[in-house]
Amino acid sequence: MAMQGGTALQEKVSRMLSRKQKKPVLKPNKPLVLKDEVANRKIKKGEATCVTEMSMMMACWKQNNFVDTLCSNEMQSFYKCVEKAQIAVKDKSEQQTIGQSGRLQPKQATTLLKRYPNLHIEV
Amino acid sequence: MSASITGLLKPWTPRLFLVRWSRYNPYYLEPEPRKEVYHIPETELTPEQKEERELKSVRPIKAATNSVTSSVFNDPVLSKFVNMMMKDGDKIIAKGIITQTLENMKRKQVEKYHKAPEGKKAEIECNPYAIFHQALENCKPVIGLASIQKGGKFYQVPIPLTDNRRRFLAMKWMITECRDNKHRLTLMYEKLSQELLAAFSKEGNVVKRKHELHKMAESNRAYAHYRWW
Repeated sequence: MAMQGGTALQEKVSRMLSRKQKKPVLKPNKPLVLKDEVANRKIKKGEATCVTEMSMMMACWKQNNFVDTLCSNEMQSFYKCVEKAQIAVKDKSEQQTIGQSGRLQPKQATTLLKRYPNLHIEV
Repeated sequence: MSASITGLLKPWTPRLFLVRWSRYNPYYLEPEPRKEVYHIPETELTPEQKEERELKSVRPIKAATNSVTSSVFNDPVLSKFVNMMMKDGDKIIAKGIITQTLENMKRKQVEKYHKAPEGKKAEIECNPYAIFHQALENCKPVIGLASIQKGGKFYQVPIPLTDNRRRFLAMKWMITECRDNKHRLTLMYEKLSQELLAAFSKEGNVVKRKHELHKMAESNRAYAHYRWW
């Protein structure tokens, strides 16, 4: 079944490259070969953490002319928020490496592909 | 540069003192040099500490570096400062400068102590190590700026810093300040002791630099949402 699907794809590609019927659809400048790796990408773009704490601390600084002793409460809450954010990031990355939900992680896919690479030398 | 080239021209001889290699298998654990940890009796250990002890009895441990000792005078922050001040691997000179600095600070503080009236004597801090730590704390910035590209332009975005980064920045500012802005005839330890005492009382150029960074971050607070972490 995979072989049938493979040949159908090859025929379609050769049709797109051919000059017999009309102008060729594909004009590749490199050979049409897949790489032995998958790109690393995070689908969700993150957002800035601890912005409220930061803005409160800056408002306090502006009021007190940047003297640190009077703003210690806001600074402490900012540090706590930063710590929590760091722990959350670590947990999230750990959970991502462990949990796949049906799909392989990009790093896992790359290791698998590297074990069975494309042959580029005829031995 | 000339020092490193002449070093390569000498014939290679094995080292006199064996030095710890810095690349280890991640399986190896860090050594624990502090004596107090080993003096806690069995009954007072928390479950995490018991687990840690059991792990240490099974896993191999890295060799401790030469700069780490189990004596009461071993201070990791001070060691880091000495390493940052060191040039061309000359630890003896750097450590000498730091010892002279601490002695100088102690002398100045003791002089102030003896000249002060009775009521004010308790407020003057004479321990140079305490002064050093407090001065470094006063120099640490709270937020830093990062150059983030958005829409073709680079913006200075305020970001939270890790503790290591803050400590590094405080030490770096202190050392660069003492190297650059000093009179030709003042020695390094003299200038360092002046700067540390000023930072202890929240004056001086290093604390000013920290405040300027805070002001920049405050003026750029509108760009805080350009961060994605």
